[in-house]
Amino acid sequence: MRYLKLPHEKRREFLIELKGYGILYAPVSISEKNFDYKKVDDVDTIRFDYNRTVLPPRKYFFPPNETLFKFDKKDCRLIDAYEDPGTFVIFGMHPCDIIGLRVLDSRFIDDQPDTYYKRRREKGIIIGIDCLPDEYCFCNIRDADFADRGFDLFLHELDDGYLIRVGSVMGHKIVDACDHLFEAIKAEDISVMTRKEREKQAMFQHYENWDNLRYLLELQDSHPLWERESEKCISCGNCTLTCPTCRCYDVQDVPELDGNGGKRIRFWDSCQYREHGLVAGGHNFRDTKLDRFKNRYQCKNAYCETMTISYCVGCGRCTQFCPTGINYRKNLMEIRGDE
Amino acid sequence: MVETCSVCETRKPVVGVYALTSCYGCQLMIATVEKILQISEAVTFKSFHMLTSASSHGKVDIAFVEGSVSTEKDLIELKQIREDATVLVAIGACSIHGGVQSWDQGLRDYPEMYEKVYGNGEIAYEGLAAKPIDHYVKVDHYLPGCPPDEREIVYFLSTFLFGTYPERKERPVCHECRLAGNPCILIEKGEMCLGSVTTSGCNALCIGFGIPCIGCRGPTPYDTASFDALAKEFKRLGKTREEVLDRLSIFGSHDRRMRQMVEKAYGGEK
Ligand code: SF4
Ligand code: SF4
Ligand code: SF4
Ligand code: SF4
Ligand code: SF4
Repeated sequence: MRYLKLPHEKRREFLIELKGYGILYAPVSISEKNFDYKKVDDVDTIRFDYNRTVLPPRKYFFPPNETLFKFDKKDCRLIDAYEDPGTFVIFGMHPCDIIGLRVLDSRFIDDQPDTYYKRRREKGIIIGIDCLPDEYCFCNIRDADFADRGFDLFLHELDDGYLIRVGSVMGHKIVDACDHLFEAIKAEDISVMTRKEREKQAMFQHYENWDNLRYLLELQDSHPLWERESEKCISCGNCTLTCPTCRCYDVQDVPELDGNGGKRIRFWDSCQYREHGLVAGGHNFRDTKLDRFKNRYQCKNAYCETMTISYCVGCGRCTQFCPTGINYRKNLMEIRGDE
Repeated sequence: MVETCSVCETRKPVVGVYALTSCYGCQLMIATVEKILQISEAVTFKSFHMLTSASSHGKVDIAFVEGSVSTEKDLIELKQIREDATVLVAIGACSIHGGVQSWDQGLRDYPEMYEKVYGNGEIAYEGLAAKPIDHYVKVDHYLPGCPPDEREIVYFLSTFLFGTYPERKERPVCHECRLAGNPCILIEKGEMCLGSVTTSGCNALCIGFGIPCIGCRGPTPYDTASFDALAKEFKRLGKTREEVLDRLSIFGSHDRRMRQMVEKAYGGEK
């Protein structure tokens, strides 16, 4: 791997350089307490200190709402409706989100190739940045606190700049095109980086191995926790809609007024809604709120074979964005018998 | 007269738009959708007072009914519409959930209230406590909103013209709120937002403007609204039982589970 140093005073110039590759998306403040990835015009609005964005970056590859194709009944035609986003750059992805995207790749590219996802995925340049955990993070337990691949460039903050890891051919091209911005890594930079890594590791709240969780979730199916916690749930779906690895969607045909044309749209769905488990004949696989509540815990803690980790990357969104304060991590620990 | 469509030469669907006790806002909304000219080309309006004075009762393929049943006259008219229509669509908060006029549903004595308002005054028809129309007749489709959203009106008509039928929205406003990329104002500001118990379809319009949802599209169908869990959260935020009931009653007083579930959350406390 190639390593470079970007001094702090060159950061702005580097970001402007990135805008040359296409639309730049990065975390910005969207309210007093929340952040989200948005299209960035003024690079000074980028928030390097964000904790987590409300929506996960999957929204750029698997949009919340998209038109799959148009149709015309009259001449029995399907019309491709894919809109090429052009090359775009996502700046500032944390390790859990980079790994979350790779978990999505395992479903949308390796397992059942999804053209819509794949086409966009090929257009996205990913620039990661390291972060410090807050009270909601447990990516370390999920083996998602360090991104060893899945990015074009990755920035580790030093005292006076960033240590950059170059992770792809595109990454090499980007740094080559503006190599006057970078310096060579010095021995003291490496010791700053290792010190910061140690500090980060010490900030997590738990260090256990949770590999047995998926079995315990099955074995503890009648644990009193399920009743107690699902009672608090308002079925809003926020826990899944904000999750970086949720991939459920629904499709709908929206005809036009001419009685012939129309489009098929797809949009993010959530297993916390009644409709999610509903099939032909009116049968529902998850007819009660309790069933739906349990489903998410089981789905997120299943084993993603391609990545050899769980589907949950420990980003903490489902707890921070649950309106009734249901604490997913604490609940998992109770199932494990830790609390 | 049977009109045929100039393009496909099939018979144009005959549509009636009717109002019971309401503000006529739903009709106004239909009358002012951007594609109203295209719609009036595609269908024959048998009745639509806001568009044509040549409106009359009679057989229709699709009837859109706004308004709650609040008088004997409403009820007679509604039954006639049902008999005349192949497909009946309840449109708007009044028609589907009784509307704001049924806000105090079941809390006050109706005859007493009636007398207070009208005294001995002679009025042409007998009053009834406001009710959603499906209390009296079978409803085939529900198009909620106060008023309904333009896109949904066009969607409903388009599906009928295409030869299928509209899918009922049952996910909550929170779904569209998250898809729209808003931050949650219940979490961030402790606002009394009813999005989680309210049927979506407005693209979380109010929250987009930073205003909490007051539930105008009515409680989510199929008994999925967790009024109890939401009321508990409001209670935790320091809202009183009265405040919560008042807010939920504006458009949700006819949901038979609502009061009971709020009472459960407050468990006798204020
Ligand atoms: S389940 Fe929760 S903590 Fe895990 S990845 Fe999804 S949102 Fe993050
Ligand atoms: S089933 Fe639920 S938890 Fe699993 S991916 Fe779908 S929405 Fe997410
Ligand atoms: S975010 Fe919380 S309240 Fe909403 S569906 Fe998930 S667990 Fe339930
Ligand atoms: S602001 Fe309201 S509608 Fe939006 S997610 Fe929060 S509770 Fe739901
Ligand atoms: S956010 Fe709520 S109150 Fe506002 S339009 Fe939508 S359903 Fe009605």
